[in-house]
Amino acid sequence: MRRLPVNLLIGGALVTLVISAASLSVIWTPHPYAAMDIPNKFAPPSATHWLGTDQLGRDLVSQLMVAAGNSMMVALLAVSIGALLGTVLGLVAAARGGWTEEAIMRLSDLGFAFPTLLFAIMLAAAFGPSLTVVVVAIAFINIPTFARVARASARQVWHRDYVFAARAAGMNRFAISRDHILPNIAAPVIVQATIEFAVAILTEAALSYLGLGAQPPAPSWGRMLSEAQTLMYLAPQLAIWPGLCIFIAVLGFGLLGDGLRDLSDPRLGQRRAHD
Amino acid sequence: MIDLTDIHVDGPTGPLLRKTNFSIAAGERVGIVGESGSGKTLLALSMMGMVSDQLTVGGVINVEGRDMTSASEVDWRLLRARRLSMIFQEPMSALNPLRRVGDTVAAPLMRHQGYTREQARARALSLFEETGITEPERRLSQYPHQLSGGQRQRVLIALALACDPALLIADEPTSALDAEVALRITDLLVRLSRERDMALLFISHDLAAVSRTTERIIVMYGGDIMETGSTRTIMHASRHPYTKGLLAARPALSTLGKRRLPTIPGSVPPPQDLPRGCRFAGRCPVEMAHCATERPALILTSTGAAACHRHIADDSGGQ
Repeated sequence: MRRLPVNLLIGGALVTLVISAASLSVIWTPHPYAAMDIPNKFAPPSATHWLGTDQLGRDLVSQLMVAAGNSMMVALLAVSIGALLGTVLGLVAAARGGWTEEAIMRLSDLGFAFPTLLFAIMLAAAFGPSLTVVVVAIAFINIPTFARVARASARQVWHRDYVFAARAAGMNRFAISRDHILPNIAAPVIVQATIEFAVAILTEAALSYLGLGAQPPAPSWGRMLSEAQTLMYLAPQLAIWPGLCIFIAVLGFGLLGDGLRDLSDPRLGQRRAHD
Repeated sequence: MIDLTDIHVDGPTGPLLRKTNFSIAAGERVGIVGESGSGKTLLALSMMGMVSDQLTVGGVINVEGRDMTSASEVDWRLLRARRLSMIFQEPMSALNPLRRVGDTVAAPLMRHQGYTREQARARALSLFEETGITEPERRLSQYPHQLSGGQRQRVLIALALACDPALLIADEPTSALDAEVALRITDLLVRLSRERDMALLFISHDLAAVSRTTERIIVMYGGDIMETGSTRTIMHASRHPYTKGLLAARPALSTLGKRRLPTIPGSVPPPQDLPRGCRFAGRCPVEMAHCATERPALILTSTGAAACHRHIADDSGGQ
C-alpha cells in the first residue's frame, strides 16, 4: 500500500471538520442561529455560548455552523453545475473536432476573460442580490475551466487503442464518449472540482461580504465579516472567527485537491518531493 | 466481397501505399505479410474506412457491391457495425481498463442489434464460449487487468464477432502473445472463419503464422505488393527475391546454432527515401540496372503474381 500524500490527509481532515459542522447544523445548533438576546450582546466565550455572542446577542457558534452549511451548498451546486456543463462541452469538443471544437474553446477563452465579480454584480443588478445569483455566477465562471480540463484529457484518451477498437466495432462518437472517454477522464475532472470547490467558497464569501450574496438574517461567513468590520476595535473576535472558518475551509479543499492530484499522478508527486 | 481498385494512401512526405488492387471473396482466408511500414496495416484500414484524417486515400473501394469511395463517416460506421470488424496487436491496450469486458462486448449488440441488456449479456456469454474463454460466466464481469494476454485477445475476438461480420481483419493478432498462445489464437481464427463462413484477413510479419492460417498470401514491402499467390506457392515456389529472402530468414530447428540465420541485408528506408522503381531495389540480391527507376508491374503467372523485373526477364529469356 502506497503512503497517502500528507496534503491529502490534512486536507481531508479539515474538509471533514467543515462538512461535519455544516451537516450537523441542519438538525442541531447550540442555539437558534437568529435568536437575539440584546442584554447579552458581546458576551465572552462561556459554557452556554462557546464562542460568545455578537452585537445582537446571537450565538456565534450557531451562526458559523449554519453559514458553513450555506457555503457548502453554494459551492456544491455551483461547482457541480459548472463541472457538468463544462465537462459535456469538453467531451463534445474532443469528439467532434474541427470548427465545433474551435468554437467551444474560443468561447471558453472568452469566459476566462470575464471577471467573476463583474459578472456577479451584473446578475445582482438585474435580479437582486441572493445566494442563487452567487451560484449562477460561480457556475458560469467554472464552465470554461472544466471544458478545458475535459477536452485536454479527452483528446489523449481518443488516441488510445481501445477507442480505436470501439470505432472498429462501429460505435459512434456519442457512445464512445459516454462509455470510454468519460470514465477515463473522471480523475482529472474530480481533482479540478475539488480545487474549484475551494475557490467557490472564497468567491461566495467575497460576494456575500459585498452584499451580493446571502441576505440577512441568513448567516454567511462573508456577511459576518462585513458586519464585524465596523466593530473591529470593539469586538475583533467577531471578525476573527468567520475569517478563520473561511481559511480552514479553503485550505482544506485546496490541500485535498492537491493531494488527489498527487494520488492520480504519482510522477508529479515524486517530482515535487525532489524539488 | 471487398474489391479495392487502384487504392493508394499518401502521407505528407509522399506515398505510403502505392496504387494497389486487392480483393477478398466471402469466406476466403487471405494473409498479408510484410515488415513494419510495408503498408499492410494501411491497406487494412482503408478497407475499414479508418485511415487517419492526416492521410489521403485514393482509388475505388467496393464493399459487397456498394461503392464506398466517397462514403460518409456514418455509412462507414454502419458498415463496421454490421459487416466488417478488426482485432489488433496489443490486447491489453485495446480494452478499456475501466470497463468490465462483458460490457465491452455487449455494447455493440445493444447498439446495433437492438438487444436488451439481458439478451446482450447472454449473447456475450455464448461468444465467450465460442472463442474458448475459460470460465466465461465469471469473465463477463471481470476487468481487463484480471485476464491473461491470450484471454484478452479472445475477448477482442468475441467483440469483433459480436455482430456476425462478413470479414474479420486481424492485424498482427499474435505478435504480443507467447508462441503457444499465439498458435491457439491462429487456430481459433481459422476455425471461426470456417464455421461462420467469414472472410479472414490475417496481417502479420510472421510467415509461419500466416501460412498456418490462410489460403492465399500477399507479400508487401515499402507500400507495394511484391508477390501474391496461394499459400502453398508462396511457401514452396516463391518467385520474388524479397519473398525468398523472408523465407530464408526463418529460423529452423535443424540448423539452429549451427549457422548464422540468413538476413536480408540493409534495413527498410523511410518512406520518402524508398526507390522510385522497385521498392526492394538497393537491398535486392539479383538487382538489375533499371530496377531502382522503373516500377515493375505485378505480372500474373499460373500460380500467382510477382512484381519483379528479374522474374519477367528470366521468363522471357527462357522461352
